[in-house]
Amino acid sequence: MSGNKGKSLAVFLIFAVILVGMLIAGMWEKNWSFLAVTILFAALTFLYLDFERGSVSSREIGLIAVLGTMAAVARVPFAALPNIQPTTFMVIVSGFVFGPRAGFMVGSTAAVVSNFFLGQGPWTPWQMLAWGLAGITAGVVRTFRPRIGSAGMVLFCFTWGYLFGWIMNLWFWTAFIHPLNWKSFLAAYAASFWFDTLHALGNAGFYLVFGSRIIKVLERFQKKLKFTLVENTNG
Amino acid sequence: MLDRLFYEDKGVLLQNLHSVTILGYLAVLFALALLFSHPLYLAGIFLISALAVVTAEVLEKWEFYLKAGLWMALLIMVINPLVFHAGKTILWRSPTLPLLGNVSICLEAICYGAAMGIRLLAVLTIFCLAAAVVHPDKFLSLFSRFAYKSALVVSLATRMLPAAARDLANAREMLQLRGVDYGAGNLKERLKKYSWLLDLLLLSSLEGALQIAEAMQARAFGTGPRSCYRRELRRPRDLLCFTACCFALVFSCYAKAKGYGDYNYYPQLGVLVPHPASLILLGIILGSLALPLVLNWGWKHWPYLRSKI
Repeated sequence: MSGNKGKSLAVFLIFAVILVGMLIAGMWEKNWSFLAVTILFAALTFLYLDFERGSVSSREIGLIAVLGTMAAVARVPFAALPNIQPTTFMVIVSGFVFGPRAGFMVGSTAAVVSNFFLGQGPWTPWQMLAWGLAGITAGVVRTFRPRIGSAGMVLFCFTWGYLFGWIMNLWFWTAFIHPLNWKSFLAAYAASFWFDTLHALGNAGFYLVFGSRIIKVLERFQKKLKFTLVENTNG
Repeated sequence: MLDRLFYEDKGVLLQNLHSVTILGYLAVLFALALLFSHPLYLAGIFLISALAVVTAEVLEKWEFYLKAGLWMALLIMVINPLVFHAGKTILWRSPTLPLLGNVSICLEAICYGAAMGIRLLAVLTIFCLAAAVVHPDKFLSLFSRFAYKSALVVSLATRMLPAAARDLANAREMLQLRGVDYGAGNLKERLKKYSWLLDLLLLSSLEGALQIAEAMQARAFGTGPRSCYRRELRRPRDLLCFTACCFALVFSCYAKAKGYGDYNYYPQLGVLVPHPASLILLGIILGSLALPLVLNWGWKHWPYLRSKI
């Protein structure tokens, strides 16, 4: 056990040293694309680390895997509609019901797993982060505003349509555009405006049509997860 | 679409390297594509990654990446001249345009856009290569040693996705046989029909999640420290390729420190080859990165070498 822990710690330390080295190199060189990628990997590492450190039961692992699969497979029926796909919506409702940690895992798993089949690209880690953050924020919203209501959630899903596109554009902007100023930022983001709008409208539409029913199904399942057998101590 | 992995076993050397070696090779290629801004260095990295794709025998898959990449490269080449006008070689001045004002198209911005287009194609090619030569199981088994919960979740989802895609197709067919026409009605009605599909799939999958949990517990999940079985072996080919990667990385750092890997696009284009050493270093870096590709050729055509590595 201690050997395994020692190895894990060593791997983590090596990884941390590489990340810090990349961060320093990026800042030294003022290479924003390199810096953006480093920050992305650091963020993903810490989010995964948080999941690893938490106690997770087999039921939760099975559930997250199933929801990640569902979010990924939901891309198929709507493939014909440009940028309208229920993945973001599925991730948001998962995070809303099961909390930020599960929300992050569902989002990042949906991204990485679907791309094992569709093809990995530089977009994969950014999708992992964007969908992961959508799940985390949905969980946080539930914590602070448990009775947010349908209108609030529709607005939340709509906003994430744009936020997702903006996160995805970050790498494109930092890696390939010069100079990095408001003008180039707006030019890069204007190019994806209609795609982001379709995504936002799709998210809002999915919540309006499926939202409350899927949340009900997931909440019912959440109760099932919490069910445990209490032993009769009286004999 | 989701019933078959992107990865296909072609029996090439790149698919038979240790996961640490192949991921190290890909990481070095990716880092160099981001670190260098000199057009010759970027073109060199693109050339090596393109040759790697050819040796990995995934040209038809690369075509999909190139098609997407060319459009994005074109966008980069359009945006850059539109947002940067401080270059010294002005090719064209536009009349006053609404919002944009006077736009000056300069040669420097076009060249920068073209170089960044090459960078984009190189990065896409590297990711295409990664998807084609690294099996998901190999990738996940590497992470399972120190992040086993996350690796387990991804691994389970990878196994379930083709089955879920098949279930979805079956459910769709079943509903169609019962008279549901997915093409009929307005958008809201069509979304409602799709919602039945999602409902069916979600309910059956959630029940499946409990069965997975029971199966995991039956196999003693969470009862104590995990044991780990390593199937992958480190062979001479891994040592050779890993050394070549380290060699390329060290010389790249040297080239960066000397400024050979960078290029002045603004305000006026710099000299392409400021010092002959810049080309020599580029040759050494590309030669080191090409070693796995040369070994791949030997792996295919030279049985003696194959038996030794």
